[in-house]
Amino acid sequence: MPLDTSAYSLALLRVDGRRWNELRRVHAQIRTQAAADGSSYLEMGHTKVMCVVNGPSEPGPRRGTAGGGGGGGGPGGVAEVAVSVVVAGFSSVDRKRRGRGDKRTLELQTTISNALAASLHTHLYPHSTISISLHVLSQDGSLLAALINAATLACVDAGIPMTDYVVACTAGSTSTYAANDETADPLLDLNHQEEQELPSLTVATLGETDRVAVLVCESRVQASRLEGMLAVGVSGCHQVREILDQVVRDKGRHMIKEGTVEKGMGVEEMEVD
Amino acid sequence: MASIKRSLDSDPLQASISSKVYVRSTKSGKVQKIVREVYLRQDIPCSSKLCRTCQKMAPTDSAGRPIPFVLSEAPAGTSVYPNGHYLVPDTNAFLSAMDLFEQSSAFYDVVVLQIVLEELRNRSLPLYNRLIGLTKSEDKRFYVFFNEFRLETYINRLEGESVNDRNDRAVRQAVAWYSEHLARTSAGKVPTVVMLSNDRENLKKAKKQGLAACSLAEYVRQLKDGEHLLDMIPETEDGDMIKEKKPNEFLYPEYFSMSKMMTGVKGGVLHQGTFNVSPYNYLEGSIRVPAFPKSLLILGRENINRAVDGDLVVVEVLPKDQWKEPSTQVIEEEAVTKDENPDTEEAGGLVTERERKALQEEVKRTHSKTTEGHAQPTAKVVGVIKRNWRQYVGHIDQTSVSQSAQQGRKQDTVFVIPMDKKIPKIRLRTRQVAELIGKRILVTIDAWDRGSRHPTGHFVRSLGELETKAAETEALLLEYDVQYRPFPKTVLDCLPKEGHDWKVPASMDDPGWRDREDLRHLGICSIDPIGCQDIDDALHARPLPSGNYEVGVHIADVSHFVRPNNAMDMEASIRGTTVYLVDKRIDMLPMLLGTDLCSLKPYVERYAFSVLWELTPDADIVNMRFTKSVIKSREAFSYEQAQLKVDDASQQDDLIKSIRVLMALSKKLKQKRMDAGALSLSSPEVKVQMESETSDPIDVKTKQHLDTMSLVEEFMLLANVSVARKIYEAFPQTALLRRHGAPPKTNFDELANQLRVKKGLELSVESSRALADSLDTCVDPKEPFFNTLIRIMATRCMMAAEYFCSGTQAYPEFRHYGLASEIYTHFTSPIRRYADLVAHRQLAAAIEYEAVHPSVRSRGRLEAVCKNINVRHRNAQLAGRASIAFYVGQALRGKATQEDGFIMKIFSNGFVVLVPRFGIESLVRLRDLAEPEPTAEYDAETYTLTTSGSREIKVELFQKVKVLVTDQKDETTGKRGVKMEFVKAY
Repeated sequence: MPLDTSAYSLALLRVDGRRWNELRRVHAQIRTQAAADGSSYLEMGHTKVMCVVNGPSEPGPRRGTAGGGGGGGGPGGVAEVAVSVVVAGFSSVDRKRRGRGDKRTLELQTTISNALAASLHTHLYPHSTISISLHVLSQDGSLLAALINAATLACVDAGIPMTDYVVACTAGSTSTYAANDETADPLLDLNHQEEQELPSLTVATLGETDRVAVLVCESRVQASRLEGMLAVGVSGCHQVREILDQVVRDKGRHMIKEGTVEKGMGVEEMEVD
Repeated sequence: MASIKRSLDSDPLQASISSKVYVRSTKSGKVQKIVREVYLRQDIPCSSKLCRTCQKMAPTDSAGRPIPFVLSEAPAGTSVYPNGHYLVPDTNAFLSAMDLFEQSSAFYDVVVLQIVLEELRNRSLPLYNRLIGLTKSEDKRFYVFFNEFRLETYINRLEGESVNDRNDRAVRQAVAWYSEHLARTSAGKVPTVVMLSNDRENLKKAKKQGLAACSLAEYVRQLKDGEHLLDMIPETEDGDMIKEKKPNEFLYPEYFSMSKMMTGVKGGVLHQGTFNVSPYNYLEGSIRVPAFPKSLLILGRENINRAVDGDLVVVEVLPKDQWKEPSTQVIEEEAVTKDENPDTEEAGGLVTERERKALQEEVKRTHSKTTEGHAQPTAKVVGVIKRNWRQYVGHIDQTSVSQSAQQGRKQDTVFVIPMDKKIPKIRLRTRQVAELIGKRILVTIDAWDRGSRHPTGHFVRSLGELETKAAETEALLLEYDVQYRPFPKTVLDCLPKEGHDWKVPASMDDPGWRDREDLRHLGICSIDPIGCQDIDDALHARPLPSGNYEVGVHIADVSHFVRPNNAMDMEASIRGTTVYLVDKRIDMLPMLLGTDLCSLKPYVERYAFSVLWELTPDADIVNMRFTKSVIKSREAFSYEQAQLKVDDASQQDDLIKSIRVLMALSKKLKQKRMDAGALSLSSPEVKVQMESETSDPIDVKTKQHLDTMSLVEEFMLLANVSVARKIYEAFPQTALLRRHGAPPKTNFDELANQLRVKKGLELSVESSRALADSLDTCVDPKEPFFNTLIRIMATRCMMAAEYFCSGTQAYPEFRHYGLASEIYTHFTSPIRRYADLVAHRQLAAAIEYEAVHPSVRSRGRLEAVCKNINVRHRNAQLAGRASIAFYVGQALRGKATQEDGFIMKIFSNGFVVLVPRFGIESLVRLRDLAEPEPTAEYDAETYTLTTSGSREIKVELFQKVKVLVTDQKDETTGKRGVKMEFVKAY
């Protein structure tokens, strides 16, 4: 069994050989499912998720809505962002089945839905639903962050207008709450082992701004350390945005080259070789 | 149609990403395959101060501070490596000789490879923690090189290569890289990078590769002062010591089935008894069975076979050629098993190398001698009838805790060391290690599987910080199973409504007065220890016209207030006794009764149960009677006060006169008892003096014995014997009595032999009378304490006195050996003992004061009561003693005094010293005498231990020695204890 997170102080190396401010390898693809309106596949280290977006479209028959009339959509004449997360039974070490009503899954769905609804221009599509299906194929920490990033990419692919990328990333600290080590380094992009042993938070920002769209922290950590963690997390989000943007641009360039799309307005400045 | 499938070659990062795949099996037998990413990099420095390139790219933490380079630019050289050298030890080197690396004379500039650290962590957490400690020390210059993350030193496991081979190769790869890397620096003298290993194969391969490599022994010989370090290298140098774990191998033999055990016991092939562990040697147990005069020895982990102290077990006697002598060596679990790892599922065999070594010495010793008569039958446990597991108080063994667990909430396995040395350490899985370190905790044992070396348990609750008074007191109470919670409401509801205002009714017509004698006119007084609040007994004496004396013993009439079978009675019967600790009293009855309504306080009227005798001036009983009464005590004396008044001839009032009469009579009673063969035994008794304000202990005093104490004692004995006769007469089947069995002669064998050999004294044990007489002759004219020492040791050979129901024993068995009385019971302390309360009820029924309550007539019920109060009584005594021991330790805190002591037990690697001044005994081990441990010659025939080497002393049994008594806090366990250091022998 390899060493645990306490070995960090020996040589400033994390359990997988990264430094404190390094992301894991991020690999992303968009338009992976031709049949869907938008789709993406994203890996952050060994966390692998895929996303399919359908819509905006007229909502299907809804159950449990009293009154019936008025169509679907969210309140106030905006599109509803319906997120469903399915965690594959084989995604973690122990084969575990998570049911539909699983509380953690529900929480993930709500968080993602709220974050995206704020960035997508939902007011353009009243009485309609944007349904986002996320599938977790493999888990190794930073699950929520990976899901948000995948959903963002898929929404870009679906062509839904949005203010900016919603990009997410986790941040942690090299020592635990109990150790109360003020000199602890903040950590970027935690893997599963680190998430289990160390305090962590998930932060999502709106593109390259410092505007925080999601902030989830479920572990105990001293408030004094939180600031450093947050700063590292936000800078991580900016790095993720660069990567995602590159993926989108690469795909666009590729499509133009193949002639799938015409080189149109606003694409001029893109270098197509 | 796009495909998610992608070719990995296109990834630019590919070269520097690898993954670590390993398989682990969980407790439940599930196999998990874990895949972890590994990012390979080239910016991991070599940390040598010689290397400029690495220094330029040294990594920094978030605050921009680089980690300092540790390896010296001019490391020490040896005869073979004159240019200086850096050491790269492999895992075996650390596993087998960690002590060596901690030396201050050598072993500087060491590169600890990540792979080695990982392997070490899996094998032994304590060693891992020690190594981490070394890497943190600045002057040792240990550097952890993360070879598994450095691109050049990372290697993939080849097909067909075992994990160990791969790791060895990784070590060689790292050594090769280091040598090459350092060669590139433009330093004048390039240090050699030396691999240290005890694995021949590995060394051979390294040499083939052209690397500098040597075994530990070779290396140490090159050092200047190498010779004496050589001792620290373990002898087992034959190739690789790594034993692969065999799966599904059970460590312990299986238990017999219940029916097999039962038929075996019936047939006399197997024997059943309670398993006891030796307090000095955790690998030695004994069991007393009716079929053998001597108790059966059970030696070693395998024979003990998962039995825990107190379990009811079935044993099989081993063949005669395996019979052994009881151990003369101290084996402490903590010392022997300290490097074990709680996490791994028991690699290696059942008996670890160290344990085997410890036992080996034993065998050598027994074989070298031809002591036919000394050998004791040995046995092995084949099954457990009933576990006697309870909750145990202990603390977490700090060295068994991993670093991450100290911080995180990850579930972790640790060892708990119980307070009771006889209980093995318990494996505990907990998520809150960080919070529990340094606390007294309560745990239970859940199971002890065949596949696990130590029992597993779970955490119950935390009692608080170690060493705090509250936590230690509660720990004590729990450890001795004392019920200390406040009385529940149902119990308090049974108290008289009037509360503290309750008075003896003024009107003689009140039902309370029915059949009560009015003794208020008598000059009754009580004599008790200072500060006694629960006064059970009071006395009076007055001359009769006939020249005889009327003597009365008046006992608090508790049975008037505590009616049979109500909630209060039930609670009292469970508690069994009041427990006296140094700073606390755990009452059997609620305070209101114990210290007020029942207590025979002076100047107020109280109900009593009186025993009245007419005694001749020679203290012969003319007649006696028992009656319920109302008394009014004239005065409550302390022993000291009473003694002063009696000795002061000017004191001539009636009360003092009557005490003098009692005194004279008591001396005659005592003489009679002694003539009958009563033993005067001894135990080291001390009193802790507390500061009145803070109740912190400040000093320890030995208890003084006063004549007034034996005055009270004699009359209490007389009353008890009288009552015992009466209730036995009235209830031949169900009287609650107390007996003290004659100890088996073999109990005294050891002591008698010791006395014969060392002092030329004979101890005869045919009867209590003979024993008492021979104890009187055991004197050393030069040493007055010697007699007391022998009495203390004789006391330990005795059986414990016990309560019993008269129907369960034949009359001759009623005998109280110590008091030399045919029949005996407890009657005189009903406030603090439940047995006395029962005796009160039986006596009340015997004198036809009240109807016999069914509960005091039912034999089954009484037997259950006896069983419980026997246990409670013993626990209360032990708790009291432990409390004194704790406070003695506290009182000694920060002090160091030289005291005289006596050697009362001697082992081949240590001896036990009793210091009468503090009433404590403690083990002095040879390894405490000097560093390194002196070699010793133990002569079991003459009980003499002679040491040579680093310190030369000669000690023998019963010898008077001077010891330095200090308190010490054990750093690893956080326990504070008295420590004795040997100063000199007289």
